Amino acid sequence: MFDYIINVSGYILEGSIVTFQLYFVTAIFSVIVGIAGALGKISKIPLLESILSLYTWVFRGTPLLLQLFFAYYGLPVLGITLQPFPAAALTFIINYGAYFTEIFRGGIESIDEGQYEAAKVLGMNYRQTMSRIIIPQTVKRVLPATSNEAINLVKDSALVAVIGLGDLLRAAKVAVTRDFSIIPFIIAAVFYLVISSVIVTAFRKLEEKYSVYE
Amino acid sequence: MEMIKAKNIYKSFGELEVLSGVSFNVNQGEAISIIGPSGSGKSTLLRSLIGLEEINSGELYIEGISIKESGKKAYEKMGMVFQGFNLFPHKTVLENLIEAPVVVKGEKKAEAQAKAEELLKKVGLSDKVDSYPAQLSGGQKQRVAIARALAMEPDIMLFDEPTSSLDPELVGEVLTVIRDLAEENITMLIVTHEMGFARDVSDRVFFMDHGKIISDTVPEKIFVNPESERIKSFLTKILSQTNSSH
Repeated sequence: MFDYIINVSGYILEGSIVTFQLYFVTAIFSVIVGIAGALGKISKIPLLESILSLYTWVFRGTPLLLQLFFAYYGLPVLGITLQPFPAAALTFIINYGAYFTEIFRGGIESIDEGQYEAAKVLGMNYRQTMSRIIIPQTVKRVLPATSNEAINLVKDSALVAVIGLGDLLRAAKVAVTRDFSIIPFIIAAVFYLVISSVIVTAFRKLEEKYSVYE
Repeated sequence: MEMIKAKNIYKSFGELEVLSGVSFNVNQGEAISIIGPSGSGKSTLLRSLIGLEEINSGELYIEGISIKESGKKAYEKMGMVFQGFNLFPHKTVLENLIEAPVVVKGEKKAEAQAKAEELLKKVGLSDKVDSYPAQLSGGQKQRVAIARALAMEPDIMLFDEPTSSLDPELVGEVLTVIRDLAEENITMLIVTHEMGFARDVSDRVFFMDHGKIISDTVPEKIFVNPESERIKSFLTKILSQTNSSH
């Protein structure tokens, strides 16, 4: 029994490599997309605002699973064929980028107008004001919402199993079918819980760090 | 030397005309108080001087340089203190002071820091260097804000109701700092409701009403012998309020 658990855990751990890869690629690039999207949304350039509103409306308003199917099974119809991992990564980055765009936009807009005015009368330009005054304060305010998304991403990553990507969940599913045992699912659940807990703890530490002021 | 020259300044917010042809001069070293009822355009005037509001028409010269021609440059000669302090909450008191000198002026950090410590001593907050704004009282915050503006070594200081959001017992400490500055002959414009302060400290008082400066005179004149009924009734009203609230 114990040996079996060790064996299956090793197998599922291999599958989790894909999960981790997808997680970090998505986390890094969707945050970048989110910052750019948020700055675009507050830019007061009407065309840019409209495009970004359409973007967040579509990607937050349709299922991630549909978007994944679209990228993997739909795009080939248009002559664009992606391998499973790029298809998954692209879908996740664009989807999470839409959520981060709205979260960061809300965060930036919650900063008092007086902060911009103070920066302006001190001679700071737009770039200095955003990077040194507004965004650092925004980070603190968006941490809780970002933390939620970071945990959602752990769980959403399991969706890639449906396009045949060998992730953590798929490895567990394969083991369940092969061994006719429920244990692989339990092990997978434990893995997900551990990952989520690490993320929650990391964000709690970050929030503590930022609580020195206010 | 003429520090500020304003000619026929107009400013509207949509339909609402807030400044309706304001003209005045301010000389080097003068302390000017701007008084008048709320909505008379006092704050808008101050904010227009430093470019927080764009004027619709009129001419504005800072130290002889036209705002239109110089763009941002003329504003760099001014510092501003807000009613709501607007300190950077994520930075310590010291960081608030050295931020602009280092980032905007390119001063060396050590230099900016030495200067900042000097300024904090001047406003009586040497022990608060490493505090965050949230740990300070309103009066302390405003003194930090004054020091922060001074750290950029402006020729002209603008104060927009610097004591209006303070508890009454904290007003004095801020006014003392501003009074000291006036004695150092820094050119300053102060929008204020503190009539006693305006009378004691300023070289001239502007009385604004409906977007115009309707009186530009020495404090003795405006407070002792106001020229118009409008000013008289305003002063009577505000002085009775002040007396009843103390």
